[in-house]
This record gives sequence, C-alpha cells and structure tokens, in this order.
Amino acid sequence: MTAQMFFIGFFGLAGVWFGIVVFRTYSMVRSALALLFSQTALGAMFLSMQAEFLGVLQIMMMATEMSIMAIFMVMFMMDPGGLGEMDMTHQKRLSLGVGITAFVSAVAVAVFVDWGPLATTAPDAVQQTADLGLELLGRSMLIFETAGVTILTAMIAATAVAIQPVKKASCHES
Amino acid sequence: MTTVLILLLLAIGAYFVAVLEAWVSKGRFQLAAPLFAAIALLGRESILPRKPDRLFFEVGPVLLLLSALLAAAVIPLTPNLIITDLATGALFINAAMVYVLVALLMAGWGPDGAYGMIGGWRFLGQLIAYAMLIVMPLTAVAMRAESLVTTQIVVSQAGLWNIIYQPLGFVLFFIASMALAFLPPFDMMIAKGELAGGVEAEYTGMRLAVFRLGRLVLIITLASAIVIFYLGGWQGSGLPPWAWSAVKILLVTAGMLLAGRFMPRIREAHLLYWCWILGIPLALANIFIVGILVLEFP
Amino acid sequence: MSPELIIALISGAALFGVGIYGALSQTNLVMIMMGIELILAGAMVNLVAFWRYLHPDVAAGQMFVLIIMTVMAIEMAVGFAVAIARFRAIGSVEMEEATELKG
Repeated sequence: MTAQMFFIGFFGLAGVWFGIVVFRTYSMVRSALALLFSQTALGAMFLSMQAEFLGVLQIMMMATEMSIMAIFMVMFMMDPGGLGEMDMTHQKRLSLGVGITAFVSAVAVAVFVDWGPLATTAPDAVQQTADLGLELLGRSMLIFETAGVTILTAMIAATAVAIQPVKKASCHES
Repeated sequence: MTTVLILLLLAIGAYFVAVLEAWVSKGRFQLAAPLFAAIALLGRESILPRKPDRLFFEVGPVLLLLSALLAAAVIPLTPNLIITDLATGALFINAAMVYVLVALLMAGWGPDGAYGMIGGWRFLGQLIAYAMLIVMPLTAVAMRAESLVTTQIVVSQAGLWNIIYQPLGFVLFFIASMALAFLPPFDMMIAKGELAGGVEAEYTGMRLAVFRLGRLVLIITLASAIVIFYLGGWQGSGLPPWAWSAVKILLVTAGMLLAGRFMPRIREAHLLYWCWILGIPLALANIFIVGILVLEFP
Repeated sequence: MSPELIIALISGAALFGVGIYGALSQTNLVMIMMGIELILAGAMVNLVAFWRYLHPDVAAGQMFVLIIMTVMAIEMAVGFAVAIARFRAIGSVEMEEATELKG
C-alpha cells in the first residue's frame, strides 16, 4: 500500500463524505461550506496524483466559487441557519435509485474494463506546467479562445439578466 | 529544521508587526506591549454566544492562522531557506490566501450575531473586488520570470527589480494586499466604530488572541510576498541575504500600516466600483505592457 | 496491477452518484446547482486519474480538466443570474413552483 494510494483513497473518501454532508445537513451555510471542503479534498487528490497545477487551481477557484454560493444560499433560501429542520426534498426514492444505479454502473465499468498497463511515473511538475502552457497556446488555442469568448458572453448575459430594469423617472439617482 | 526556523522567524515578525501597529495607531513605541496584551487576552474570560454554530465558531480563527502559515510555506527568505519549493509557488500563495475568506466567513457566521455576520459578508464583497487585482499582477511577474517557482521569480529580478519594471502591477498588488489583510482603509469588517468590531466582536479570550495572531501573520506573509515578487527578495549589496529580506519586509509592513491611516474607510460598494471599472483594465494593461517589455528586452 | 486507478475511478463514480441524487431530489435551485457541481467534480476526478495513469505525457488531458473548470464557473454564473431574476419576479427560487409552462 503505497503512500500515493493511501492519499488518493483518503482524499477521495473525504470528498465523497463532504458531498454527502451537503445534502444531509439542515443548515444552508454548512451545506455550502461542506461543498467547499469537498472540492478542496478533490484538489488535494489532484495534488497527490501529481497534477500540481490543476490541484492548486482547483483549491483556489473552488474556495471563491463556493463562498459566493454560500452568500447566494443565505440570500435565497428560507432557513439558512437550519434550526427549523425543514425537509426540502421531493421524489426521494426515485433520485436515490437513479443515484445508486449511476454509481453501480460507473464502478462496474471501472472494475471490469481492462485498462492496460498503468504508467508509473508522471513528468516533473515544472515540466508539466510548461507543457500545459505550450499546449494551451499551441494546439488548443482555438479551444481556449472560444472558452474566453464564451466566458465574456456569459458575464454580459448574467449581468443583463440580473440587473434591475431602470425606471424612466429615475434620471436623478446617483 | 527549516520549518521550525521559518515558524520562529514568522513569530518574531508577527511580534514586530504588532509593535509597529501599536506605534502607528497610538503613537508610542513599546516593545513589551504586545506580550502583555497577549497574556491579558489569554487570561480573560471566554464568553460564548447563546447559540453559536459550534463548528464554525471554533474553526474560524484557527483557519485564518493556518491559511496565513500555509502561504508562508512557499516564500523564500534566502536562497536556501524555504519550507517547500513548489513548482506552482506563486499560484499556491493565492490559493492559501483565499482561505482567509473562508475563515472570515466562518468566523462571521459562527457566533450567530448580527454584527459579525455582516462583517463576514462584507469581507466577501471586498474580496470579489480585489481578487483579480491580486492574480493579474502575479501573472505579469510570472511572465517576466518564465516560471511560477518563487525562487526563480526572485532570481529573475537580478538585473532590475520588478517595482521599476512593472510599477503599475506593484501599486495594484500593494492595494490588494492591504485589502486582503483588512488594514485601514479597507477594514470595514472589523471596524471599531462601524460594526462594534465586526467579525472580532463576538470573540473573547483565547479565540480572540488566535484571531489577532492570525491577522498579524497574514500581514507579514503578504509583506513578504510583496518583497519577493516586486522588491527582489534577498538581493542587494552590502548586507547578507537574510538581513536584506528582514529589512525589506519590515519596511513594506510599515508602508502597509501607514498608507491608509489618514483616509476614511472605503465602503465595499465603492471599492467594487473602482476595482472593476479602473483596477481591472489597469491590470490587463499591465500584463500587455509587461508582455511587450519581455519580448523587447530579454 | 496497482489499484490506484480503480480507487480514483470509484471516488469519481461516488461523487457522480451523490451529485445525481442531489440534483434530482432537491427543490431549491441553489441546491440543484450544488448537485451539478458535484457531478462535474466527479467527471474531473475521472479525467485526472485517466491522465495520470494512462497517458501522463499528453498535456491535453490536463487541458480538458481546465475546460471543465471553466464550464463550472460559467454555469454557476449564469445559473445564479437566472436565480436572481426569478427571485425578483416571484419571490422564491423553489423549482416546485416553476409550473408556468406545464400542460
């Protein structure tokens, strides 16, 4: 049992456990922060799989995103503290069935397919970052330009949808 | 061994930041005042709120201290004195700093008090303003160094320090660091006159001591980050490298503490406005200019 | 054959299962989006495991993970904008009440 195997298993288990806590807890802020720590555990899992840039990026981005999700939960949900212990779910058995079916079929694919010989070493982290940068700006530049334009469009669309319509009589507001 | 040494230096540095902060705000230079204040805080009664979210209430200040210490793990004080030389050091500092936000959200939400909660959400509003202003100048710095490794970034400034090469990036990163360490004028979330102490309001006794210690370590970690990214780290002639590091870090800390003393507190709405309308175009212009400079003068 | 790939794939499958359970069983839009985040995270774990243990020299594997992270951010932004607009119009973001187009 190598160290890498132990860490991957540990962080994977932590990620899945925090993910389950997201839907089991009554407090909304705890739910959002549990999702944050689940994503952090996955970022640590990437780090233990020697994908250093991806791991650090995942940890950084998900912390900010989930904190923003936390404030949206406080804004939009009815019982952010969770002391009322409301049950806000529907079609529980159907979704539990679908979830378990998805899990079992994915595990079956993972266990029964012959993946071939596993690679034992990964490139050095500095080399990986340099390779990733060259790949981004070389072969995959079109993909990233498209992604950049998509992000810009999404930002403009999100602002346009979320902004309040300006009333006609309010020309003297600051 | 290196870890213990760096933690010791961080503790001494945090002590000096406390002395400097007392000097700047109260006008008197007392070397022993933080020690007595810490002992007094540890001895005081720990008042628990009525129905706190126990997990967040306990974890908040500890996470603040931990995230500042994690960020300090990739900062080189001399060419050999670094806890872990990660291949993505500059990005890791950012990643650790974002957990300051998570810590303050927990510390604001945990005690189940109105002022603390508003202080915590205000910190989130501020961070959305300057999050880009922290990452984009680092992109320009990494462009010059052609690497994200922190020792490599310092070595790349051997000819010309980054503060002269990219002054726009330095100003933006300095302002964003002051806001991340919630120093005045960006200290809406622990404002004494505004929110009755904000996030600090519900903490007493030992937890307040941990909170304040976390804040001091955060200030000195951010000052060291500014020094290695923009002021050339340990480079300089005359003094040995560790002395240069210490002098530069203390000067930057004094600058950070002094810079906002005479300005009124900036509301997070205004900070959002100015950072997104003025700051981000300036940061993008900085990346563009540095790109041209790097291609023209290798 | 070392089981590291299998462990990582099982973790990805478990995250996917929990995410689908959440996305289907919750009534509030924000909680549904949290389920979707978990689904995408499961996919990312699988991708990184495949990159590391089957093709570690190909940087395109990591690039695909970057694309998924980008997609997560975009979908969260647009989803929350829609949530804000709906909250302003109706006063809640419960999906049980979203029956205007039904029948």
